[in-house]
Amino acid sequence: MKNLSRLFVLFLVVLFIAIGAGNALGAGKYPEKPITMVIHASAGGGSDIFGRTMSSAIDKDKLLPQPIVVENKPGGSGGIAFAYVAGKKKDPYYLVTAVTSFLTTPLMGLTPVGLKDFTPIANFAFDEYMLIVNPKSKYKSVKDVVADAKANPKKITVGGTQLGSSDSICAYLIEKAAGVQFNYIVFSGGGEVNAALLGGHIDMAVANPGEALELYKAGKVRVLGVYAEKRLAGAPDVPTLKEQGINAIYVQNRGLCAPADIPADARKVLEEAFFKYTKTETFKKYCKDNMLSEAWMDGAAFGKFLEEWNDKYAVILKDMGLIKKK
Amino acid sequence: MDIFSNLIMGFHVAFSPMNLWMCFVGVLIGTLIGVLPGIGPTTGVAILIPITFGMDATTAIITMCGVYYGAMYGGSTTSILLNVPGESSSVMTTLDGYQMAKKGRPGPALGMAALSSFIAGTFAVLMLTFLSPPLANYAVSFGPPEYFALTFMGLTLVTSLGGDSPLKGLISGVFGLLVACIGIDAQSAVARFTFGSMSLLDGVGFIGVAVGLFAAAEVLVNIEEPMLQIFTEAKLTIRSLLPNLQDWKDSFGALWRGSIIGFFVGVLPGAGATIASFMAYAVEKKVSKHPELFGTGVIEGVAAPEGANNAAAGGALVPLLTLGIPGSGTTAVMLGALMIHGLRPGPMLFSSRPDFVWGLIASMYIGNVMLIILNMPMIGLWVRLLKVPYKVLMPLIITISAVGVFATDNNIFDMWVMAVFGVIGYLMKKLDYPAAPAVLALVLGPMVEMSLRQSLTISHGNLSIFFTRPISGTLTVIAILSLFAPFLRILWKKYRAGKTAAV
Repeated sequence: MKNLSRLFVLFLVVLFIAIGAGNALGAGKYPEKPITMVIHASAGGGSDIFGRTMSSAIDKDKLLPQPIVVENKPGGSGGIAFAYVAGKKKDPYYLVTAVTSFLTTPLMGLTPVGLKDFTPIANFAFDEYMLIVNPKSKYKSVKDVVADAKANPKKITVGGTQLGSSDSICAYLIEKAAGVQFNYIVFSGGGEVNAALLGGHIDMAVANPGEALELYKAGKVRVLGVYAEKRLAGAPDVPTLKEQGINAIYVQNRGLCAPADIPADARKVLEEAFFKYTKTETFKKYCKDNMLSEAWMDGAAFGKFLEEWNDKYAVILKDMGLIKKK
Repeated sequence: MDIFSNLIMGFHVAFSPMNLWMCFVGVLIGTLIGVLPGIGPTTGVAILIPITFGMDATTAIITMCGVYYGAMYGGSTTSILLNVPGESSSVMTTLDGYQMAKKGRPGPALGMAALSSFIAGTFAVLMLTFLSPPLANYAVSFGPPEYFALTFMGLTLVTSLGGDSPLKGLISGVFGLLVACIGIDAQSAVARFTFGSMSLLDGVGFIGVAVGLFAAAEVLVNIEEPMLQIFTEAKLTIRSLLPNLQDWKDSFGALWRGSIIGFFVGVLPGAGATIASFMAYAVEKKVSKHPELFGTGVIEGVAAPEGANNAAAGGALVPLLTLGIPGSGTTAVMLGALMIHGLRPGPMLFSSRPDFVWGLIASMYIGNVMLIILNMPMIGLWVRLLKVPYKVLMPLIITISAVGVFATDNNIFDMWVMAVFGVIGYLMKKLDYPAAPAVLALVLGPMVEMSLRQSLTISHGNLSIFFTRPISGTLTVIAILSLFAPFLRILWKKYRAGKTAAV
């Protein structure tokens, strides 16, 4: 009986070693198990659509030997998801969606983790932004707006989402470039901003094409300008703000990051798979449907982009009074 | 007669076997999601998104809408039977529904909930059919001052939801407002009352609070005096399961008022089914000949909110289909799902995709009929649930509630919220503080604050903005009158008493 239990313990020890060795030996072939993509926003939003479209395409076209599982961890302006993934240091089986809030939330001190806790993997696309008014508005161009804002400082109301969001940054960029001040009104979502604009309750709004292009096509809103270097493919008649003498350029990136210090080969595998994904019909259609500009960057380029924008946001948010002194 | 030919075409689309089947699947899933506490239509639709990938856009929206209004039917079940609100929009149903169940009339309560859901749901689809495009203008006519007036009016009604003491109702309401302040303030990006906790940045989840205050507290109270069964009367005849003629007579006014309020509140992008159900209940209590009986198990108290939340679900589709603007959290998720399908709702949807719009509208007529057929026979089954001894039911309630609360955002923290508010709810029950005002203040608080600050930012601090605009002016005056009505009544009585004394 005693012998038997000894034997059993021995068996367990061997089993444990075997399992451990198996893990160590198999480490070369990433990925061996499904990868979790953490979406920092709730289901149905822009980042969710981005993640789910990609996950289904990667599965369908067999771009990776293992599936990508989508998990929503909304909350805290993305902070909950960022902290969760940052905590998976060295683990290449976690990814998190990275848009503007990926940089602004840490800058505003809303989460303890920051850029250094992540490995940039890839950027896929850019969201463009535009300035819209009600078609009955007296503003026909950004020049009209600037002239009126100079005559009546802080009188023109601009609708957008939470302070620190892309919308609020866009409104600020015009203020900065033209030396004027608006009256920024915060709404809880893009839909409510549009409703307030259509009802004539606010003078202008910042929106991305996904939110406003259908309204524009139906003549329900007038687009004064886009925050881009070049005119948008979906609205070639609309001039850029730059063309109108306002140097305000802004895009929101759509990318993915992994935790810090993941193995280099895993990063390479992911980059390659994602690059292939950007060549698929699914991705092209996704960009067209959601009116995004394709903007592929590999990990290194994306890392540089993030660093660069992190510095820009730091200046902008500080100017807006959103970075508290510690 | 354009509408009729369109509608016939819509029925043609909706009656295709695939659409008919998915409509049924949608309303069935919706009912189940509605019955499960915590997990609501927004989460339900979100979970469904990957499943709809393979469908065409029309089938997908038929399925998702089925889940949406199906959940409104199902939400009442646990509210009535167990005092566990299945959704945020069925919190009001617990007040009188659960009392009816306790009094041995769970059948009529469930029956009236299903029938008023059906009637209000059908009313909403009729409105959607005939009035959608003109209503688009109404949907955007509410700006920040109007929303403030509407939600402020709602807050003034909070006290009337309490039990016997308006003061305790008020205290409970203020407690709710305080809880509503927790989280990051969107207007200044400052974190309030979060004590450095990241989980609190988004505030305290409504679902966790509601399930805690109602379900967990109810279980805790019942642990003390373990009743064997809630409902002991064994007689379960068809007659006792359905509302009787008197019930119908009592509910008739509540039903149509609930439907109308629900629909028009639902159309507004900034309001939703929860506020609609609450407004309908409060209005019903105000117009009732026996307001003191509300909360003791009157059937109007079930018919009004249940009608309102279904009508609101239909109303929320108006801005989505006519403007591409989501009218509620659930329609926002649907909008996202439609975009995955490459369909972008906007003002031209009615002309560019009539098959889609009218197919959906027609499917809602069919779905409502399916739901009533599905739900009526279930009543007998649900009522039998109450014959399960409470000591068996209790752990089940807690487990299912906790899972539902967790599943809403996949967040363990929400379960802690539920536990903490379970204890708070227990204390409130012991001290006889009503829970409903706290829950409703939690919903209304952020909206009141947001719209107040938006309005004042627009007007540069000038309060006249609330009075000079016709809609907000009217609503603000009503709110102020309703706030001071009790004082005026007291003054009037004193005046009268003084007069008679003088004579």
